[in-house]
Amino acid sequence: MKEGFRQAMAWLHTWTGLIFGWLLFAIFLTGTLSYFKEEITHWSQPEVRSHALDPVHSLEVAQRYLQDNAGHSGTWFIRMPNEREAALSVGYRDAKGGPRGFVSKNLDTQTGQPVEARDSRGGEFFYRFHFQLQMPYPFGRWLSTFCAFIMLLGLVTGIITHKKIFKEFFTFRPGKGQRSWLDGHNAIGVLVLPFHLMISYSSLVLFMYMVMPAGIMASYGNDTDKYFNDLFGRNDAPKVANVATPLVPLPSLYAQVQALQPGARIGNIQVQNPGDSNARVTFTQSAADHVAYRRSANWTFDGASGALLSQGKPESGAMMTAFSFAGLHMGNFAGPWLRWLYFFFGVSGTAVIGTGLVMWLGKRQLKHAKSERLPGELRLVEVLNIASMSGLLLAVAGFFWANRLIPMGVEGRADWEINTFFIAWGLSLVHAVLRSGRRAWGEQLALGALAFALLPLLNGLATGQGLNHSVRVGDWAMAGFDLTALGTGLFLAWLAGKMLRRPKPVAKRPSRAAKKPSTETAEAS
Amino acid sequence: MLGIALMAFAGFVALCLAMEKHFSDLLGRKPRPGQLRLLRAAGWLLLLVSLMLGVNLRGWAHGLVEWTAVVMAGVTLWVFGLPYQPRLLLGLAAASLVLGPLLAVFAV
Repeated sequence: MKEGFRQAMAWLHTWTGLIFGWLLFAIFLTGTLSYFKEEITHWSQPEVRSHALDPVHSLEVAQRYLQDNAGHSGTWFIRMPNEREAALSVGYRDAKGGPRGFVSKNLDTQTGQPVEARDSRGGEFFYRFHFQLQMPYPFGRWLSTFCAFIMLLGLVTGIITHKKIFKEFFTFRPGKGQRSWLDGHNAIGVLVLPFHLMISYSSLVLFMYMVMPAGIMASYGNDTDKYFNDLFGRNDAPKVANVATPLVPLPSLYAQVQALQPGARIGNIQVQNPGDSNARVTFTQSAADHVAYRRSANWTFDGASGALLSQGKPESGAMMTAFSFAGLHMGNFAGPWLRWLYFFFGVSGTAVIGTGLVMWLGKRQLKHAKSERLPGELRLVEVLNIASMSGLLLAVAGFFWANRLIPMGVEGRADWEINTFFIAWGLSLVHAVLRSGRRAWGEQLALGALAFALLPLLNGLATGQGLNHSVRVGDWAMAGFDLTALGTGLFLAWLAGKMLRRPKPVAKRPSRAAKKPSTETAEAS
Repeated sequence: MLGIALMAFAGFVALCLAMEKHFSDLLGRKPRPGQLRLLRAAGWLLLLVSLMLGVNLRGWAHGLVEWTAVVMAGVTLWVFGLPYQPRLLLGLAAASLVLGPLLAVFAV
């Protein structure tokens, strides 16, 4: 009975892993990139220069700009620059201007002037893709949330299937074909398990109102807005009184916040009815200040008198639990070294999925090692493996190349970057269909190696902010991106070399398997 | 946090060496009776102490998260580096055992 259960779990692990593995790989890879969302955006818009942080000055600059340019608007938004975001971004509702009645600008914190940066989604593209999959709302969210559920299922079934989880806790034996792949898959899955569990479970928590809406619907019916208002509090400003009253200087409100919560970093500021006697100003603390993604850390002031009107209520235990998972997932609180660890754990999650996909095929390929061609279904898996893994890397590289090569003024420039991403991905699928498995892997990885390794050079030539410049002025986000691209290129070159050089390591394996069969039969069919 | 990371790393290395197979593979001799149990106790103790220091230094929220992160990073480095550079990693573990507590105590 016990063996039967384990077999069943192994079957589930194998097949859900295969069907959803390709998509999960993409979700994990783009999600991993999202830990450096702001840094990628900084690289994608090198026109936005970073300056030393000075919140008071930034607020003066933002207020002056909005008063001069958005005096007619009913709502302003300000997002403060921080260690990772160079721009001071301001936005305002304007029925006549901008797409969807909303105008947003990036200001240079020193000059106070809008920066004309190239039109690019930057890190935001990868971030959105990892949970919306470029699909219309709400289908992408549904699909990615379902994938998160499959990941959680894969982890649990994987643990059940893994017979020697403690005995082989520290075991990795390279250079032994399938054995090494399984060791690698298991070790990286088990050793980084807390991260994997956290990331897949918290994805479900993040979208729990979609995944388990029954409780909300029972109490609120279809009026889900009311639920969110009850949960997060409503940001209702009173109606405009039509009594012109100058808005208090925002730095004075900032000083009040600092007195209430010394050292608090401010993320967003919303101003409603500016210039009216019923003006309201809400300061929200930066998400980087807490591990939990707290919505309550905010202060609302009367914009005419500067009096503090309300503070966010502390969260209940249940909300705090949910916000903790959300915060852990997004990692906004992480400083540089912890952010790098987040990035590497994300890469390891991606690697668990990738090694799983490779093993699924490798195991079945063995049976057909002697025949000329793979059966159709295995060939299909092979092509999809190649396109979903090395092809995706090419697509990511394509996005960055497009960012540097598409001229500044082109209409729909940001969309063309995204198109390049998908065109590159599509072409890699065509290439994988046309070439034999090993060659396709090798060639795509080699091209990926070139594309990533040359990015720093391209950056230097196109913007003059190459490594020589960024290291000298201490722009570590820019330098870090270039160095990471270089490192990725070298890693892909190493992989490509393995793929292109070694002919077929299969011949040696049967003798080894015959010698000690007991260790080889641990896993799924 | 570096000192805490090194202590946790040394702790996991001790737990690894507490397994007979790894002990004889890495150190090239059979363990003496009681040695494995001593290693296991030392490993768990190091992990526990590093966790306590981490929480003490950074508070519950950051302490737990950062401790978990450095533990996972350290043990992953150990397991995947071991087949290639066993001597280097053993040296690193020995150094961690000395440096870890020193850094943890003096770098507060």
